[in-house]
Amino acid sequence: MDKNKHLESVIKTHQIAKEEQLLNKHRDKSKDVKESLEKEYGSNIYSPFNSGSYAKNTAINTKFDFDMIAPFKKNAFGSNGTLKDMYNNVYDFLYEKYKDEANVIKQKVSIGIEFFRDEEGDIVKIDVVPGRELNQDKYPDDENLNLYVYYKYGNYDAGSERIKTNVKAQINNIKDRATNEKDSIRKIIRLLKVWKGTKLNYPTKSFLLELITIKAFDNNDITGSLWDKLEAVMEYIRDEVTKENFTLKDPGNSSNDLIDTLTTSERQNFSNDMDNIINRIEDNDENIKTYFPENEKFIEEDNDDTYGDKGAGLFSIPPKNERFG
Amino acid sequence: MKLRLKDIALELQVEERFINELARIGKAHYPNEYGGFLIGYYSDDKKILTITDTILPKKYNATPSLFMRDNIGVKQHFKNFYKEKPKKYYVGEWHTHPNNKAIPSITDIKAINSIRNDKDVAILNPVLLIIGYTDNHTEIGFYVLIKDKIYKYEN
Repeated sequence: MDKNKHLESVIKTHQIAKEEQLLNKHRDKSKDVKESLEKEYGSNIYSPFNSGSYAKNTAINTKFDFDMIAPFKKNAFGSNGTLKDMYNNVYDFLYEKYKDEANVIKQKVSIGIEFFRDEEGDIVKIDVVPGRELNQDKYPDDENLNLYVYYKYGNYDAGSERIKTNVKAQINNIKDRATNEKDSIRKIIRLLKVWKGTKLNYPTKSFLLELITIKAFDNNDITGSLWDKLEAVMEYIRDEVTKENFTLKDPGNSSNDLIDTLTTSERQNFSNDMDNIINRIEDNDENIKTYFPENEKFIEEDNDDTYGDKGAGLFSIPPKNERFG
Repeated sequence: MKLRLKDIALELQVEERFINELARIGKAHYPNEYGGFLIGYYSDDKKILTITDTILPKKYNATPSLFMRDNIGVKQHFKNFYKEKPKKYYVGEWHTHPNNKAIPSITDIKAINSIRNDKDVAILNPVLLIIGYTDNHTEIGFYVLIKDKIYKYEN
């Protein structure tokens, strides 16, 4: 079997544009949540914005990461207000506002609003991440926010007062790389997300997959076909992620190490999973379909209506000699 | 200039002045044939091919009915085009037919198949531009290989 052709089809069938209706529903709900937050918190909140994979150009259509950052002013919850106060206040508001149409759930650093299935069977989920500026009125200048950790998040303990980060810097860093390196970084990120989607509650955050893919490309000369690139990134993860000195710096705050969002045993499992995938595909190419499945909803028969390539990017050196008549 | 295939929803875009420039270069080699590499890029949905540039061969042999080119000495040019934004790459080849029509010969058809099958060529649908000319007439024909068939682009 042609592994590259399969992987291209995995990417194609997971393109977010194929789920336009669901995408529009997410956009509409996202707008509604944003306006509700602005109305409720008035001058105590800066403009909420999307930060998920949709905003970073790395989305796939089986999981819409619509994360919304809600940046609050330092004194929004009183001059002695804590990050916990912020988190609980936002949860209480969202719960009251949406309890009749959604499950509102406390998550690691966000509050999930999972709307009930609509008449077309679609479920829209928006994760709201409350963050608070570090110093009163400084957010417009430095874009730095403190987040509250609701429950144990890798090596971050529950109730940790803060993860300081600059979400806009995080988004821009990933978006720039994913957009400029479409045939490499963006495709590999999407493939790893498709793989993650085959697992139930896998602890590795999408953001970590994005950063580790970028780091793999930055630290190695990764070239060749799409499969060559994917295999090289998986080998990198397998070999590096368990090393004690391995780090994944948060582009929003270099003192945050994203690898700390995984425990030691989760890192070992992540490495083992990569090893397993590589070995099983080496045993039999067909196994690639198990780890990287196409989205069956959008599988199309081959048609001639697109210019094609052989799955290894578009750069070519023409044949040495050619004769025309 | 926008050209389309009759039954397949694929488009080719190219500036008329670029074609005129190729014709001028090609005619300078009269009575022999002459040609080069075509550079361009596909749209994100892979439905539109835009041809923007040419790379001329450093080494070639030509007669009035034959053009043989080598890729020696031009590889770096391809790398440079690929560094541009948007990335540009090899999409096919062009050559002239002096005193003849812009219709592919058997040799041309063999060439375009051999290009598609070459392991170092990334694209599946190489394009062939033929510039046929006489003293007072010039015509062009753009062709593309899809699977094992050659299709002509129409205005």
